[in-house]
Order: sequence, then structure tokens, then C-alpha cells
Amino acid sequence: MTSNTPDADKYKNLIQNLLSKLKTDYQYVFSLSLSDGFTVTSRSKSVESIEHHQDTGLAVAVYNNYKKGTASTNNLSLESIQKTIEKAEYISTNTQQDECQGLPESNYTKNDWTDLGIYYPEKLDINEIIDKTIECESEAFSFDNRITNSEGSTFSYSNQKNIILNSNGAYGSYKSTDYSLSCIALAEQDKLMERDYWYSSTRDLDSIENAKDIGRIAARRAVSRLGAKTIKTRACPVLFSPEMAQSIISNFLGAIDGSSIYKKSSFLLNKLEETIFPNFLNIREEPLLEGGPATRPYDIDGVLTCKKDIISKGILKTYLLDTYSSRKLKMECTGNGSLTNIIIDTDRSLTKNIISTMEDGIFITDMMGSGANTLTGDYSRGAFGYLIKDGEIKHPVTEITVASNLLKMFKNIVALGDDIDIRGRIRTGSILIKDITIGGTK
Amino acid sequence: MNTIQTLILDNYDLNDDKLAKILSVACSKNIDFADIYFQHTLSESWQLEDGIVKHGSSSIDSGVGIRSVVSDKSGFAYSNNFEFDNLMSAANTSRCIAKSGKEKLIKIGEEQNIRKLYEPVSPIDGIKDDLKVKFLKKIDNHIRAKDSRVEQVIISLAGSYDSIFVANTDGIKAFDDRPLVRFSVMVILKKGDRRERGSAGGGGRYSYDHIIDSDIAYTYAEEALRQADVNLSAQEAKAGAMTVVLGPGWPGVLLHEAIGHGLEGDFNRKKTSAFSNLIGKKVASSQCTIVDDGTISKRRGSLSFDDEGCETQCNTLIENGVLKGYMQDKVNAKLMKTGPTGNGRRENYSCLPMPRMTNTFMRPGKYNPSEIIESVQNGIYAVNFSGGQVDITNGQFVFTASEAYKIANGKISHAIKGMTLIGNGPEVLKKVSMVGNDLKLDDGVGTCGKDGQSVPVGVGQPTLKIDDITVGGTKI
Repeated sequence: MTSNTPDADKYKNLIQNLLSKLKTDYQYVFSLSLSDGFTVTSRSKSVESIEHHQDTGLAVAVYNNYKKGTASTNNLSLESIQKTIEKAEYISTNTQQDECQGLPESNYTKNDWTDLGIYYPEKLDINEIIDKTIECESEAFSFDNRITNSEGSTFSYSNQKNIILNSNGAYGSYKSTDYSLSCIALAEQDKLMERDYWYSSTRDLDSIENAKDIGRIAARRAVSRLGAKTIKTRACPVLFSPEMAQSIISNFLGAIDGSSIYKKSSFLLNKLEETIFPNFLNIREEPLLEGGPATRPYDIDGVLTCKKDIISKGILKTYLLDTYSSRKLKMECTGNGSLTNIIIDTDRSLTKNIISTMEDGIFITDMMGSGANTLTGDYSRGAFGYLIKDGEIKHPVTEITVASNLLKMFKNIVALGDDIDIRGRIRTGSILIKDITIGGTK
Repeated sequence: MNTIQTLILDNYDLNDDKLAKILSVACSKNIDFADIYFQHTLSESWQLEDGIVKHGSSSIDSGVGIRSVVSDKSGFAYSNNFEFDNLMSAANTSRCIAKSGKEKLIKIGEEQNIRKLYEPVSPIDGIKDDLKVKFLKKIDNHIRAKDSRVEQVIISLAGSYDSIFVANTDGIKAFDDRPLVRFSVMVILKKGDRRERGSAGGGGRYSYDHIIDSDIAYTYAEEALRQADVNLSAQEAKAGAMTVVLGPGWPGVLLHEAIGHGLEGDFNRKKTSAFSNLIGKKVASSQCTIVDDGTISKRRGSLSFDDEGCETQCNTLIENGVLKGYMQDKVNAKLMKTGPTGNGRRENYSCLPMPRMTNTFMRPGKYNPSEIIESVQNGIYAVNFSGGQVDITNGQFVFTASEAYKIANGKISHAIKGMTLIGNGPEVLKKVSMVGNDLKLDDGVGTCGKDGQSVPVGVGQPTLKIDDITVGGTKI
């Protein structure tokens, strides 16, 4: 199925042709995405599923006298594209006028983007991939005899192309690839089961973590959860693993997103130039980070992305604004119709092995539920973790809640770990936050 | 006439003989079973914010998925090109899950004649676009006129018309046209420096007139205002284990998370669920009878037949506290040597089907809701929720309250801030000590995610009391 990958240049020419014939008093944006790839899962030492993917999508946005209409289709025939344009035009005759609507006026992309270090396509042999997933899962089983079951090991490959064109002359395209390998292991003891996972995710096949290592880490994590106890309710310092720290930073980024700000639905409204984090903490965006998981040259509107400080010495320096929200707020657009790579950093040195510095507290490695309210900052989620006493992990803890307010949590950050996770778009190590309420049993 | 028949099968000259040929390739000698799933989905949404309808969008997605199954293994390929040669090549890709063998002779069955739970009418074309815009404006005006503290109103109206056709090597041939609409309102109120949110909405498998031509939208609008107002005076909640009374309807998300996912066939066949091997065992208090019912007319979680062509049913999961059965799709039912239950669902043609819930709810009990509240000395009354999640392996689940009150000495006292509750699935229902007589289903806004696939679902329950569950408050 990968043999008939649609030719992106063909669509560029087709859309440029169409653009020259469209209504001149309307503005148009065409966003095209093409992707193909596959996902292989093996479980119980043999292949369980092979899924081949091939997706196409075209979204058309029309601005007609400050009224917007959008339509999309996955059928890229000329007839279907024309119908989609007409549909978007028709919708724009019914929506209401809003003077902030319209194409970006400056800083937009004008060329094909290569050399971003995110495109490493490969011809993959499916049998070798199956072997890799079996090797990964087998390693989890051989790690410990308490690994009694698994949800398998999954490899996925995807090759994408993104194209944008608008009637003001913006044009951009870039290609990217994604590889990932993961494993979910189940451990059992005294008839109670626990699961945990590990994964690697990269832009090129060579950088993907060794299959055996992934299986072994997944197994070690699952086994370490066995024998979890419930604990009493308390307030204490909480160390969030890099994966959990990413979710907290992601709540922060959601709250400074332009659409949250102009909708007045953020607890960080009117907080520009105010101290949000401790003064040793910096957060910056690096859109063109080589090999970055969220690297992209232009945002969803075609505006060039740019490197910026978001938090500098604890102070909020900017909101994340796309074309629309920047007009709405009468501020400069920051090219954040898309969010790219985010780096958490410190002026001090990163802390090695934070656990050893903690007298008591909880180390959280998993959280559940949607309990982060970005309107009020109120935070309450279910969690799994480990009790820490005198610098050491005592035992796993289960059935606990983690509650506070995000604004208070940000201010109460006391240390950043050097265990930086480079897999996700938010690059951070573990984060230690003091004085968080842990709900437990009586 | 079904959209798939006219837009795809007729247009691409895909008659039964050609479909049989494709399936015979997908189901060659070493393959147990194959199916082909055509889908054409038309969807739209309109959104009002800042007092104007600024977003309107429309989308068409169509494609076909071909699956080859051998024992517990699946090969799968999909495409949005319906040419016969392309479908044959997809079938060839799909069957690579097994070593190649000779093609089997496949016959396409007679079309299934299954009772319809909703009208085959597209909601989208039923009402002109300018009327949808006027409607949203009217609701916005209503809300703003009611309360001067309104800081923001976001209202959306969304509809879709999903046409599917599935044929398989067991002789199933079934067409379905599935309308779905959803209306939602979110209001932010401001008092001093404090801002709080309230939201409400509803929907189902019907046309827009159910919402536009009735007073229901005003009811949702006022409900959103009421909730935001309640939250403006909400105080911090205490953390720790306590007695919790859940209101009727949407708090049934408890059942969806605490036991629903854990009773899906795939997890139990693989024995990765905390409920594995518990059929016939007591897993809940004897007041609890819980069903998953895909057959309720026009409800959001209902389907005439599932995405594998199996008629939906009302399946009893727990009866008087005893675990009765799991929810199955074809693959897992066969491997567990039982029958399908009409729970084989997929987000769309580009995903593999899995066992999924439809409308999951608890049957009513004998207590008056007021009796239940009066029985609590010190606890929480939670009436609205924003969602939940579960780890099916250790049974830990959470659900997050968005409207809750403190109960003191048998009386509802002040509002408390939203918080997450955490419990253990196989344990929590044993702690249900009172079940109300006021069964209510939710208003039709639920979406369930599993393995990256989202499907519309429903939940429901009567008022019920849980003696002991951990509450994620901030106060010690």
C-alpha cells in the first residue's frame, strides 16, 4: 500500500492552479497532509497485528469579508477539492463578521524546508520489525519471573508531508518521519497485577533505543509497582517523574495559549511580566531543534515559528499567540498556531538523584484523570508513586490523590532533575515541588 | 438508499461478486476470517464565542478498511481509493498476517434485516445553515440577559451522518446510516477576581430539530449558568477517604471506569484485567445490577448493529452483585468460546474493531434519594463530573467531579471545589450501601477513548452511596 504514495508536488501545482481561478475578494488557505506507515504489535512471542496506514487530508479555510468558513476532505480528486472549496465559501457566507479573522500579513513561509533533521525515511523489512518487537517483549519476560503477562511490544513507523499555500503567496512544505518502539509489561504477585510501560520515539531509526533495553525497563517498572500500599492523607514534598513533569508544564502552556487568554479562561490571565516560577527556572521554545519531536518551520497558519524565552528567571515573558489571538489581544503574533519543542532549564545546576536529597515525600510516576483546571489553576488528580524516607524509596503507594493549585505548585518548585527526557515535545527532567496535598485512606 | 450504496458501491461498480473476490483474497487458506468495512462520514460544527458565530466547519471522510484474522492475529489495511484494483491490493496487504495460501471461495450473504434504532436521515441537511447561526445567537442572548457576571459564553452545535457498510466471510452484509448531534454550552462567570466555569449539553442519534425546536437548549444554558454560579462560592475540599453520594445520570461515569472497561472481552481474554476469571463471583454489593445496553432508541451510545455487523443487545454485566458476562467483539468472543455481544466497535474505517461499551448503567434500587443523603453524617454529594480514567490491570480508576457539596449531619451544606476521586474497581462497588430509585441516563455528551480510538457512549445510574472512597481535596 506504500507503493502509491501521493506525489506532493502534484498537489502543490494543482492547488496553485486552483488559487489563480478563485474569487479575488476572498482569501484562501490550503493545508494538505499526506502520510503513510505501519504499526506492528507482537504479544506472547508472536506477531499479533500488522496495520498499514495511508492518510491524506486537505483543509480549506476561506475568509470572506472577515467571515470564516472551513471545510475538509480526505478525497484529493479535483472534483472533491472543488466541492470542499465551495463548501468553505458557503459556510463563510453564514458565519459572522469578526475583524480579527484573516490571513497573516507578514512573517509567513515562502519555500520548501529541508535539513530540519527530522526526515529519515527507510525501506523497512516487516519481518525484521516483527523480530524486533518479539525481542523487546521477550526481554521483558526474562527480566523477572513475576512478569507473567504483557500487552505486547509495538513498533510504528510514519512518514509525513505537510504543505501549506495561501492566496497571499505563502507557501511551505516539509517532510518528517517518526519511529517508535514500546512495551507494556504486566507483573503479578499475591494475585494482584500491575502494568507499566517504556518507549522510545525518534525521527530516525538508528536513534531508537535498543529493543532489549525497552523491554527490560518496562519490566523493571512493572515489577517495582508490586506490593503497593495505601497511605494516610498528608501534605509533603512531591517529586514528579520527567513524564509527569511534562504534563504539569503542559498545563502551564495551555494556560498561556492565546485562545485561553482572549477567552479569559486562564488562571494566568494578565500575568505577563509577573513572577510565575522560582527565579532559577527558565522555559524556552526551540522550533528548529535538530531531530526535535515537535520541530516545525511554520505554524498551522503558515507563520514562521521562532525561538523565544517563555519564562526567564521565573518571569512570564510572552503568551503563545497565533494570528487570530494576537489580533484579538492587540499583540505581536508569536508563530504559535502550533507549539514546537519546549525546553525547561535552570540557571543553577540540575540536581542529580533528587530522591537522595529528600527526607520524606512521594515520588509520582503515574497520574490519571482530567483534574487540572486551567481556568482556576485548581489541581486534583489520581496518582501512583513511591513513598520516600531518608533519601530512599521505601515502597510503592497506590490509590492516592495529588491536589493543589497550579500557581502555587509552580512557585513551590524547589529542584529540577538531570534525568531529562528527550522523547516528548516538552524536554524536562523530574521536578520536585514542596507542600502538595496527598489524599489517602483513613 | 444507503449512502455507501449510491456514492461508493454503485459509483465504483463494486457488486457482490467483486466484494466476494476481495474477501477471498483477504481470507486465503491460512486465514480464519476477513471483513471489509466501507464508511462515508459527513460532519459539521458551528461555534459561537465572544457573542459571535465565528467558526463553521464541514468535513467529509470516506474510506474502506480490510481486515484478515487468524486466531488472535489481525492483518489490516485501509484506503480512501475505492477502485477495485486498489481494494484487491489492500486485501493482499491485509492477508500478509499469515503465510500465503490458496484463495478461498467466498459468497456475500443476504443483506441483514435488523431493527433500526434511529432514522436514516442526515441531520446536517435538515436545517439551513443560517438558522443554525440564528439559534446559537438566541441562546447566547438568553444567557447574557440572565446574568451580568457573564465573562464568556461558548456554544457549539455539531452534527454528523455516518454511513457504513460491512461484509464478512461469515455471510454478514449490513448497511447502517447513523445520525448524531451534540449541543454544548460553557459559561464563565466572574465575581471579584474569581472566575468559574459551568457547562452542560446533550445530544443523540436524531436530527437538529430535537434541540433547535424545543426548549431543551435553554434548559442546558441555564444549567451551565447555575453550575458556574455554584462554583463561584465553592470552598476547598478535605482530602482523604470518606462517604460519597453520587447523583443520578452522568455520575454513572463511575460504572464506565470502575467496571466497564475491566469487563471488555479483549482484556479478559488476555487476562490483563483486574476482573479476569471472576465470572460468577461477587464483585459488587447485591443492590447492584449493571447492564450495557446498545438498543435504546436514538441514544448517543446506541447502534442498530455494531461495526462488525452484529446486532446490539442489552447485556447484563453484573446481576445482584454477581459478575455475569463480558462485552465482546467477534475475535475475542471466538477465542473465549462465547458469542459476540454486539460490542465490536471502531472509531472509523482506519482502525481495527475492539470490544467497546455502548450505554452502561445501573438499574434502580429501593431508596428515595433524600433518604440516602439523610443517612450520611459527614461526606460529599457529587452531582456533575468532567470525565474519568482507569488502569484495567490493577483496577485503579479516577473520575473528576465538577460540581459537589459537603454533606453534614444528613443535610447538603456548602459547595466544594471540583476534585478527583480514586478507587479500586473490583472493590468500590462492594462498598455501595444504598441504591436510589431514581435511575437517570446522561444527556448524551459522552465520548470514550481506548487505544487512541474515540467512540460515542452513554452512561447512567440512580443516586447511590459509596461508604468509603478517596477524595482528592486540598485540605488536610
